[in-house]
Amino acid sequence: MINNKLADVSIKTKYFRIIFILFLAIMLSGIGLFFYINNQQDKLKHDRGVLQHKTETINELAATLNDVFFRARGYVALKSDGELKLLNAALTGLDGILEQYSALNLSPEEAQYRDDLKLFYEQYKTKTLPEAIRLVENDDYTGIRNLSQGGSTQALNEFLAYTKEFKSSSDSKLNAMASQSIKQADTFTFIAFGLSAVLLLFFTLMIWRMLRVVLDPIVKLEEATNSLAAGEAVLLGKLHKQDEIGRLYEAFLNMARSIQDKEEELMMQNEELHAQQDELQDQQFKLERSLSEIESMMKALNQTSAVAILSNKGVFTYANDNISVYTGYKNAEIIGYTFRLFELHNISDTQLEQIIRKLSTGGVWSDESQIVAKDGSAVWLQLTVMPYLNDEGQIYQYILIANNITSMKSVQQELAETLKSTEQTTIMLELNNQLNHEITYTLDKQEFAEKFSRFMNRLYSFDSSLFLLVKDKISVVKGVPQENVERYIDANNKDMLYRMSTEKSYIVKRTGVPREQGISAKEVYCYDFYTTVVNAEDEILAIFCGTRIGHSFTEEEISEIQGMMNRVALAIERLFMYEEIENGRKLNRDIVNNVNEGIQFVNTEGVIQHINKALSQLLDYDVWAEGMLIPKEQWMDHFTLRVNESEEMGQFYQKAMSEHSVDSSTMKYSLGKEAMKHVDVYAIPVFRREARVGTLFVHRDITREYELDLMKSELVSTVSHELRTPLSSVLGFTELLLSKTMKPEKQLKYLETIHKEAKRLTELINDFLDLQRMESGTQLYNAEPVNLSETVLSVIDQYKLSGTHHILLEDEALNAEVEVDKDKIIQVLTNLLSNAIKFSPGSNEIKVTLHNERDSVMVRVQDHGLGIPKNQIGQLFQKFRRVDNSASKRIGGTGLGLAICKEIIEKQKGMIGIDSVEGEGTTVWFSLPVLHAESSRHEEEPHKWSADKEQKPNVMIVEDDYSLSLLLSEELKGKGFRVTHHYHPQKAFDQALKTPFVAIVVDLMLGEELDGWDLIRMLKNDPRTENVPIVISSALDKEDKSMMDKVQKYLTKPYPPGELSNTLQDIVQIELKTGEVLFPDSGGTEQ
Amino acid sequence: MQKILIVDDEDVLRMLIEDTLEDLEDVEIHTAENGVEALTRLTSDPYDLVILDYMMPEMTGIEVLGELNEELKNKTPIMMLTAKAQEMDRNRAREAGARYFMPKPFSPMELLQIVEGILSDKQ
Repeated sequence: MINNKLADVSIKTKYFRIIFILFLAIMLSGIGLFFYINNQQDKLKHDRGVLQHKTETINELAATLNDVFFRARGYVALKSDGELKLLNAALTGLDGILEQYSALNLSPEEAQYRDDLKLFYEQYKTKTLPEAIRLVENDDYTGIRNLSQGGSTQALNEFLAYTKEFKSSSDSKLNAMASQSIKQADTFTFIAFGLSAVLLLFFTLMIWRMLRVVLDPIVKLEEATNSLAAGEAVLLGKLHKQDEIGRLYEAFLNMARSIQDKEEELMMQNEELHAQQDELQDQQFKLERSLSEIESMMKALNQTSAVAILSNKGVFTYANDNISVYTGYKNAEIIGYTFRLFELHNISDTQLEQIIRKLSTGGVWSDESQIVAKDGSAVWLQLTVMPYLNDEGQIYQYILIANNITSMKSVQQELAETLKSTEQTTIMLELNNQLNHEITYTLDKQEFAEKFSRFMNRLYSFDSSLFLLVKDKISVVKGVPQENVERYIDANNKDMLYRMSTEKSYIVKRTGVPREQGISAKEVYCYDFYTTVVNAEDEILAIFCGTRIGHSFTEEEISEIQGMMNRVALAIERLFMYEEIENGRKLNRDIVNNVNEGIQFVNTEGVIQHINKALSQLLDYDVWAEGMLIPKEQWMDHFTLRVNESEEMGQFYQKAMSEHSVDSSTMKYSLGKEAMKHVDVYAIPVFRREARVGTLFVHRDITREYELDLMKSELVSTVSHELRTPLSSVLGFTELLLSKTMKPEKQLKYLETIHKEAKRLTELINDFLDLQRMESGTQLYNAEPVNLSETVLSVIDQYKLSGTHHILLEDEALNAEVEVDKDKIIQVLTNLLSNAIKFSPGSNEIKVTLHNERDSVMVRVQDHGLGIPKNQIGQLFQKFRRVDNSASKRIGGTGLGLAICKEIIEKQKGMIGIDSVEGEGTTVWFSLPVLHAESSRHEEEPHKWSADKEQKPNVMIVEDDYSLSLLLSEELKGKGFRVTHHYHPQKAFDQALKTPFVAIVVDLMLGEELDGWDLIRMLKNDPRTENVPIVISSALDKEDKSMMDKVQKYLTKPYPPGELSNTLQDIVQIELKTGEVLFPDSGGTEQ
Repeated sequence: MQKILIVDDEDVLRMLIEDTLEDLEDVEIHTAENGVEALTRLTSDPYDLVILDYMMPEMTGIEVLGELNEELKNKTPIMMLTAKAQEMDRNRAREAGARYFMPKPFSPMELLQIVEGILSDKQ
């Protein structure tokens, strides 16, 4: 970049720059040198001054010192005061000079002298001199001598010596300085000389360089000019300069280039001229040669073809011999005649006009043409006509070339005819092939019929047709509406078939119906061709009927069609066969897929050829699909790993598939861990014509049998155990009674035990048989509408006298109508209640509640007994399962009760369950669907106090007549009360303390110990219950007047239940409104 | 004085066996109504015969035997009383250490004879 830039600067500017820089350099170095020399000279002068000054000072010092000593000695010697005065003056002078000396720039040695001098001066001035003065005044010359001999003079003498030395040294120094100054001047001269020499050198160098820059291109230019002059190619590289030279260079280069270009052009033109000349010569040569060629060609042409020349008017002006040979006209008969002499057979006048037009525009016409020879025979000529144009582009003559192609033409025609027949045969063959192919590969009858029909229509050009497969009534129709044909087939099938069974094919000629007549004016005839397809047994398989309008059938066609029908017969039979096989196959597949057993067929290589659905589900293997082959390696692992007995399974498969196994073998395996499936598999080798083709494996799910087996053996062992225990007691105590003598009490006890155990045995057997009957399905249920409330009350009523337990019923089921077998439900309730009593030895109360839940009624039997361990609750409905602890064992039982209950309830569409907390009690519940689910709900609404069950007013009925109790409770429930039943006054009282009742209905005639009055007394005497309204329901008249003021209502039996409910409703409504206890005054029996 | 322990969960059967054996001279009869009670009695007192029911709740006779050490089982004759009369049950009882086996229902007199035999052998 920099170089380029430099190169672009013009030479003038460059020179100017160089001179300027040089001038600047000389000026700067001259000034610098001048100042430097001046400076050096000044420094030298100054040094000299200093040295001179120093020398003078030292000399003066020395002189003053000498003066001091001279005066001192003078004083000592003369003892004159004048001398003393001079001495003091000299001392003062010495002091000033010493100061001057001190101010000088001193070397360390001189500084030492200065200090010594100062010291000496001080001593001398302060001590020695006053001492000397004193001694002199005392005239103590010995003292003075001593004093002068002291050390003080020593330093003085040294200094004096030094001054002398210094003087000489300063002199020599000055000399040295002078010589240094001269030397310096020499050096400066030398530097100045050197500098000017360097500058000169630089200047020369620059000029030389400049010259070279300018000269080189000029020399090159000169060379180029020379070479240009010499006509040689100018080879000049580009000069990358923009200065004067560069531009000159460029200009020269352009000039040279343009000169060269022009020269080249000239050269080229010259060459071209040469080439043209050569070409002309060549052409001339060629022309000559082609002339001779044309001549020989003409000769040849004359030999082979007929050649004629016609004028522009179409008149023959020349004709060679061959024309005469072809046409039979002599040469003279042709020349001078127009071309119309020859009749052109295959060219019409319009075509001729077109040909002439074409020729007149300079075109060439060539074609085959038939003309009539002189003897009248037709001659085929290959004609070529060429117009000849003159210089103005106008036609002045035509050349005609003709070749006789008559013989060729006839061969050609023959060939064409042969070809045509071959083509027809080919088409026929192709169609036949196609038919064969189609009927071979079509397996669908409809498709087959369609294809065949299409084929026939195409091949024999039927206008309308019908193809009917007789058995399947599959028809394909062309040209007639399908439904017409179907109608026809339905109606006339038999007639048609009748004629066809005797005649294989026949043709009917008839006049066309209007549809066939179409727009034809004449009457048209239609030809119906009927033919049948029969099998080997002469059974008609299919019918073909085709109609052609206007033309009949040739013998050839008829026999062809019949041949075709024979082939079609085979195809149709094949179709039937295929369909049968296919149906059979499908049936087989459906059978195999619908059996419960898993089926697997494995060929001799161990490849699975078939697996049915059951097996793929059983072993969770859905890889196989119809027609698939799965090699052993792919399925074996899946199968064996799936089952729990993998190893055995693998061995079983291997063994069963081996060639040597000829008998069937079986094994059992299981699947899964939790819900285990048990499967029995047997393998049978399959043979076809004594050759082993594979092995069939049949897997049968025997889980149910297995479980049943297991259950059965368990049952047998349990039953035997359950029977043996009471049997042991019966037999054992009997034996004891027989073999031992004992007290009558003991005998009685034994007998009682025997009786009890025997009863237990009977119960057990009954229960067991019951259950067996139920499970086997032979138990019949006599379903009838039952009021469950009533049933529950009646069952509870039977336990009233048992004494040990009090059973309380809380009934709030509005709809307790169910359809069940009453006896069975009583059995269930009895069972549940006796269980509750049995398993709650520590408590004496059992609570039964009834309420509606959705569309069912729920019965709960709740005890406060032993309870059931949580993990055993689920098992209790199984046979012989009792709560497994000693406490319950002591209670005894068959262990079948709950199983029977479950069976009964579930058979009647109900549900049963247990909730229990061990040690607190058990609730067994069951629910049954109510009879009129929907209607009950609507009735329910208006009587409801509140939707919330908890807020239903609670009424207690204390009544020992269960039918009356039921009657009242039904009425009260209908009015929206919750009813609690009690029959024991003490229990009722205890209950009243626990539960808030809106009212208590009391019957006066209760048990033996306590009666209704006792209960009322207890209630009224207790502050917790004294405010509960009491309604007396009794057959007795009010007798105990003392209590009557405590009673809200006295109803004398019999009374309508509505009266009780009205009374209670009044009580409750008043209470709900105000919370007060009021005495309703309705009815006439109140006090 | 020899000691017999009767272990059965059924009151009636305990009573039957007790009454059957009550006439034996110089024999003290103890009863236990479940396996746990039986084990405490067996470990605290040496017995000359144990009559053990097979089917008991919570702990079966076999389980009781399983809890006992070999020394005690060798020393004490054990009679398994069971309603499970199959050969398999018998074998199981034998393997567990029961030396005698009495199927239910049994004859009290036969039981008495066998017990007498065992006790006299023991002496």
